[in-house]
Amino acid sequence: MSVSVPDTASKPHKGFRLDLKTAGPLLALILLIILGYSLNPLFLGEGNVTNLLTRSAFIGIIAVGATFVITAGGIDLSVGSMAAFIAGMMIIIMNAAVDSMGASIWTVLLGIGCSLILGIGAGFINGFLTTKGKIEAFIVTLGTMGIYRSLITYFADGGTLSLNRGAREIYRPVYYDSFIGLPYPVWVFIIVALLGWVLMNRTAFGRYCMAIGSNEQVARYSAIKVDRVRTLTYILQGLCVSLATIIYVPRLGSASSATGVLWELEAIAAVIIGGTMLKGGYGRIGGTVIGALILTAIGNILNLTDIISNYLNGAVQGVIIVAAVYLQRGSFRTGRRAKKAE
Amino acid sequence: MAEAPDANVPSILSASRISKSFGEIPVLFSIDFDVRPGEVHAIIGENGAGKSTLIKILSGIEQPTSGSITYGGEKVVLPPNGEAAAMGIVVIHQELLLAEHLSVADSIFLGRELKSGPFLDLKAMRDQAKAILDTLHVSIDPDARINTLSVADKQMVEIAKAISRDARVIIMDEPTAVLSVAESRTLFEQVRRLTAKGVAVIFISHKLDEIMELADRVTVLRDGQLIATVGTENLTPDSIAQMMVGRELSNLYPPKREPDVDTEVVLSVRGLSAPGISDISFDLRRGEILGFAGLIGSGRTAVAEVIAGLSAKTGGEVTVNGEPADYSDVSKSVAAGLAYMTKDRKGRGLLLNAGLQPNLTLLTLKKHLKMGFLDGRSEAQALDRAVRRFDIRARDPSVQVGKLSGGNQQKLMLGKTMESDPEIVIMDEPTRGIDVGTKQQIYHIIAALAAEGKAIIVISSEMQEVIGLSHRVVVMRQGRMAGVLEGAEITEAEIMRYAAGIKQGGENERLSA
Amino acid sequence: MSMKALTLALAATTALAGAAVAQDQIRIGVSIPAATHGWAGGLNWHAQEAEKRLEAAHDNIEITLVTADSPGDQASDIEDLISVQQIHALVVLPFESDPLVEPVRQAKESGAFITVVDRGLPDASIQDVYVAGNNTELGSVSAEYFKTRLGDGDNIVILRGIPTVIDTERFDAFMAGIEGSGINVLDDEFANWNRDDGFEVMQDFLSRFPDIDGVWAQDDDIAMGVVEAVRQAGREDEMFIVGGAGMKDVIKGIMDGDTLIPVDVLYPPAMIATAMDVTVANFTSNGPVQGEYILGAPLVTQENAAQFYFPDSPF
Repeated sequence: MSVSVPDTASKPHKGFRLDLKTAGPLLALILLIILGYSLNPLFLGEGNVTNLLTRSAFIGIIAVGATFVITAGGIDLSVGSMAAFIAGMMIIIMNAAVDSMGASIWTVLLGIGCSLILGIGAGFINGFLTTKGKIEAFIVTLGTMGIYRSLITYFADGGTLSLNRGAREIYRPVYYDSFIGLPYPVWVFIIVALLGWVLMNRTAFGRYCMAIGSNEQVARYSAIKVDRVRTLTYILQGLCVSLATIIYVPRLGSASSATGVLWELEAIAAVIIGGTMLKGGYGRIGGTVIGALILTAIGNILNLTDIISNYLNGAVQGVIIVAAVYLQRGSFRTGRRAKKAE
Repeated sequence: MAEAPDANVPSILSASRISKSFGEIPVLFSIDFDVRPGEVHAIIGENGAGKSTLIKILSGIEQPTSGSITYGGEKVVLPPNGEAAAMGIVVIHQELLLAEHLSVADSIFLGRELKSGPFLDLKAMRDQAKAILDTLHVSIDPDARINTLSVADKQMVEIAKAISRDARVIIMDEPTAVLSVAESRTLFEQVRRLTAKGVAVIFISHKLDEIMELADRVTVLRDGQLIATVGTENLTPDSIAQMMVGRELSNLYPPKREPDVDTEVVLSVRGLSAPGISDISFDLRRGEILGFAGLIGSGRTAVAEVIAGLSAKTGGEVTVNGEPADYSDVSKSVAAGLAYMTKDRKGRGLLLNAGLQPNLTLLTLKKHLKMGFLDGRSEAQALDRAVRRFDIRARDPSVQVGKLSGGNQQKLMLGKTMESDPEIVIMDEPTRGIDVGTKQQIYHIIAALAAEGKAIIVISSEMQEVIGLSHRVVVMRQGRMAGVLEGAEITEAEIMRYAAGIKQGGENERLSA
Repeated sequence: MSMKALTLALAATTALAGAAVAQDQIRIGVSIPAATHGWAGGLNWHAQEAEKRLEAAHDNIEITLVTADSPGDQASDIEDLISVQQIHALVVLPFESDPLVEPVRQAKESGAFITVVDRGLPDASIQDVYVAGNNTELGSVSAEYFKTRLGDGDNIVILRGIPTVIDTERFDAFMAGIEGSGINVLDDEFANWNRDDGFEVMQDFLSRFPDIDGVWAQDDDIAMGVVEAVRQAGREDEMFIVGGAGMKDVIKGIMDGDTLIPVDVLYPPAMIATAMDVTVANFTSNGPVQGEYILGAPLVTQENAAQFYFPDSPF
């Protein structure tokens, strides 16, 4: 593009800048997809796209819950351990059920029911200790993180809990089968994200989360039941963890103390990359979904290429995460080099 | 009264023809002021009279627009940012500026720690702190943490800090506002000890009795003007109050429409007690504006917050329309038709990062639900209505509320409060920090609401405002009701007498005019 | 000598000696990493089993087992064992070798008998006995097996563990082993000794490479994830997978004639039990025990799988 048309050159840029605050994460994802495709065209192959979407479902679903917690000014570090714990309990319960009444669809439904109850219960405990116990969320969830992690290690005897083979065969399709071309976990992710979006943007609850995260005092003076809303965000988080676990267990049919390690940080990273503010007050579900896709895509791209030393994978991830947030904040003004292609 | 020092002693600190404007707005007009070594010089005036600006200029925090400062016989330009403390001019602020988690000794030496080599000399600091505290005859442990001390002890630490810096001028900004009577006594003794050593003390207080007792001279400010500087021996509390007021009410305020005596009582409070307040009793009628006057910290906001369900009471009864009103949170009081508008619009009233619409509807979001989902159109209509009714001016409704002017923020908060369509409205400092034009608008809105039949309580530290708006005035002092004024009794001098504790009287006691 | 044989031999000697001697209490401290992944879980189980067994066999033996989450933790654990328990012997499986040299040296200086397991200390003079698995051999035994199954032009992928010395030793030995065979390594990626990572990395390898003949996962946890990914892609018939360690599920599969994971290379967590037996033998047998016990990394095949199968172990 020549210098003679500065007007048209600057206008789309201006439009870009305005959009960046909201479309920044999307832009980062698109850039990442272009990068992935140029490194290896298989990146956009049907199989790989399906893998990528399915994989992002775990972190994505958990991150939708985390969006509410963080928007309301909280934090939940326990989600990864909680997922491992719930997965372990599901397996123990289903194995016990198989022993007593044989493997059937009811075994799996029992496991799913227990998972939901455990998730909601664990979320309630975090919420209750934070609000009524008046302990910082960071400390409460750091504590429960350690508790769930040790419990799963204890129940697994330090090893791996494996789901009974019969139950496994019944449960397996939940992860591996598809509906209209998309695997079930992706559908769960889509539904959770849509419900989350509606809850955040179209209900009083979402508005209250933003108000509390923005200024708890203002919320209290505005007739908002702060403790109740806060507790509900943790319950919602627990529910999301439980849903993620329900689609996780059929994947490998096992849980161990290595399950879900660092998921909490990935979920928080997805939320922040998506444009939600870590200090609370502003939450974007759509951004969170994109954040989860970005995180998964980074790992996927690194596996699809060998131009980068394995030892540097962490560095590449770090750079892309920081760059994505940089784009999203739109905190740059000038000095962006115009690309030839534009 | 302290023995007056010799009037011939030259001043240690003096200000000559000081004027100050903030932008276009002049706040001080050609003030002359001086303080001599060993003297207590009191500055009094209403809120907004210019006291704090004068203090800031005398301590270097603000530079005067014109005029000069002389310190120790030399013309000086005082350094900003509190560096004047190093020169011997120390301010003890009303909100004590102490780091809550440091020890007493650490606090006294904060910023100029004693060292031995590269290390802090903890022992020397502790010993010296102890010595200073001993000279003050107070028994505070130098190792105690600040947050374990009472407010009075914290003040002593501030004074010790000032002494440790060889202060020659100590400026105390309403030091007794948060102290009990006994604590105030101890403070006065300290002040006398300081003056006996030749330290000059500038003392700001609203409490006329204290000033009569402690000060050698009194300077009265009003509307940024110097009214007089007079030796205390020539003054009475009444004459001081007269000098402070001395102004006619303009048509800033709408005409009052007294409600009929037989109008129903909608809010009734009997013997209400809570932390910081005790034995509060009053009635509020439909269409009435009840003013709450008193000094900062006298417990007015505490009364309002207990009634609105923001904090718990420890005794007494509140009834709304004859029904017991023990609200456990704000949603209950709002549902009962009682709304409280906070005085802290930035910290408690508005979400500064959000736009106008979410702020307006936050209190009453349930009204804008359609099948459980938020109805954006209904919210937008509410904003339209509020913008017209309260004349809220914003270039663009999506602008962050924090970027609006104080006046528009206040009007938005008023709109938010009125969205709940309350029968009883408690407005805490409804015109704090906003310009006079907007003030007038708000006064007229308040009067119109009363005329519609709303029952209104206005809490204000601006006496003019209380007088100009209220049909009756409750004056509070130290968490109790000092008196209730009606009709012609509502004058500034009279309010001041109650607020400063010169006159006492329960709600039933009639006042002898 | 196989690990099993060594254990049996030692157990026999200790049993004889234990009957003869009943002296003062001998306090033995055992310091190992916490059960944060499958292999370490097996380690913990075998340590606990050995503790029960040895304390039951010898009245005068008192074993204290402590587990640590990090090298720093482990250093503190060892200090406590010296000062609080006043141990006569220390069996330690170091998190990392270098940071634990000084704590172990202190134990040595306090007069304790030192048995180091798996990861040797750089200063060999500190340890009285060294019982080690053999990572280099694990790599080369695996390579030998690959050479028997594959030849010139065949493609394999490698899933590595966590970037550490252990992983590097295995990897380098494997690469040296297949050199010259014509086997083509398509790519290698870290899978962190973790099933989920094994699954995801393998999914990506499967999308990327249309023709894979073999997978070297060098760890059974990773191999379990790889199996699921291969099944998902429906490419079970195209390739075989070799893990490592000796996880009971894998051993069981080999016994049953699984073709997807036809063999395993042993790197047994039971080595801790061996080390504890050796240490006890030092106090209960007549002569002092000393030297290095390098365990082999034998290939587990359908024929010999039964002797490596511990159905009660969590690993």
